[in-house]
Amino acid sequence: MYKTTGFISFFLRRLTGIALVLYLFMHLWVIGSATGGPEVFNARLNAVQTPIFKLLEIALLAAVVYHAFDGIRLLIVHYFDVTDYRKSLFYAAFVVAAILTVAGGIPLFLFMLEGAG
Amino acid sequence: MRVFQLQRWSAIALLFFLTIHMIVVHYPPFHINFDNILVRLENPVWKVIDILFLLSVLVHALTGAYQVITDVDRAFDYRKGLAWAAAVIGVVAFVYGAATIWAFQLPV
Amino acid sequence: MSNDNTQRTVTVSIQRFDPDVDKKPHMQDYQVEMTKGMTILDALHEIKTHQDGSVTYRRSCRHGICGSCAMLINGRNTLACKTPLIDEVGHKNRVTLGPLPYLPIIKDMVVDRTTFWEQYLRVKPWLIPPDDIPEKEFRMSKEEVNALHDAESCIMCGACYSSCTVIGLNKHYVGPHALLKAFMRVMDPRDEAPGQRLADLDGADGVYRCHTVFNCIDACPKGLNPTQAIETLRKLAQKRKKFETTRRKRQQHLHEPIPAK
Repeated sequence: MYKTTGFISFFLRRLTGIALVLYLFMHLWVIGSATGGPEVFNARLNAVQTPIFKLLEIALLAAVVYHAFDGIRLLIVHYFDVTDYRKSLFYAAFVVAAILTVAGGIPLFLFMLEGAG
Repeated sequence: MRVFQLQRWSAIALLFFLTIHMIVVHYPPFHINFDNILVRLENPVWKVIDILFLLSVLVHALTGAYQVITDVDRAFDYRKGLAWAAAVIGVVAFVYGAATIWAFQLPV
Repeated sequence: MSNDNTQRTVTVSIQRFDPDVDKKPHMQDYQVEMTKGMTILDALHEIKTHQDGSVTYRRSCRHGICGSCAMLINGRNTLACKTPLIDEVGHKNRVTLGPLPYLPIIKDMVVDRTTFWEQYLRVKPWLIPPDDIPEKEFRMSKEEVNALHDAESCIMCGACYSSCTVIGLNKHYVGPHALLKAFMRVMDPRDEAPGQRLADLDGADGVYRCHTVFNCIDACPKGLNPTQAIETLRKLAQKRKKFETTRRKRQQHLHEPIPAK
């Protein structure tokens, strides 16, 4: 195994990507209940808005934000000749993703505590 | 159109749509129920935006999954079949998702 | 500058595999007296000559130009002949050597490079000259030479190919070494068929299989940039008709002197 920052970013991109595809289809199924009318929809939505799901949503946010900024990093590499700065770009994408995850995670966490209490 | 281009353009579209989605639907966090989604989706502009969002997210997810699978040596030989499977899943999921978006309207 | 730390005994840990005896590779340690200016390849010679004649590796020129001695040194692909031992041993006085990863091992550090050469031939690495060959010489401008980014100095050592994560997963992929060569031919104003070359690479096992992991840049002992070459090929592949037309026009002036700026 050849381990570099490039490999780590590739691995995380794949991991979050696969997780997000699986999430997407679950998400479609959950909100798909809307075709059955408001009652079915609200019942199914209530089942996935318990504190444990809120906690999972923070992980989901982390995956989405990391995947997005890793993608932006690749777009930058594609459209500009910046391969010399590949390591800095990787760290930048990672740091920005971490900051946004915390920024979005705190309100989610507080909301979860509120719902539990 | 190459899978690569499909994936790239859907990625750029997603940067736009997903930002909207996160801000409008999930921020600040609130308890989701039928009625508070209905308030927004009554407007046909939002219905169009959500359908375009659905389209780009499906394209990106399925091209991404296709790329991940065909990266493996053995699966590479079956890429024609995999591409067709992805297309079928995409169409079915799109119809299903579009029906969901359509379902958000006031009872007549 | 004298360095007192130079003279010391270091441990060279080598991954051994003998297909006749072993089922899977194992590590074996050797003690080597490090002398001033000793390279990894010198240490391997020392081991093979004085300690264990069965240690097997490829080497030829010792000048970093033949590309035979590429191997995995402390987890990084590079040439054994141009890597000083002192830079790699660190505080633990220890260096780990292994064969190029992701390739079938024949014995010890000798790997089977069949796919490497097959993919190389696939991109037609030779120049396809125009029918109308100038009487004296081809003329290239400074900009045209610079656009090649020294791609011609590739020595085909395989360090980039075997560091590539995609190659580890899928041997159908052309590989960074072949794409760098293709890039060089596509950018060469003397080459007649850049459009055809770009069309050949415009597939699922061509330029789009690269996932921009950058391992090839980190691995290249010549400091070349296959990733940038692949990105350039991707952009050109999308407008290859226009590129081909520009090339045709350019080739009508190949024998003329480059106008001074």
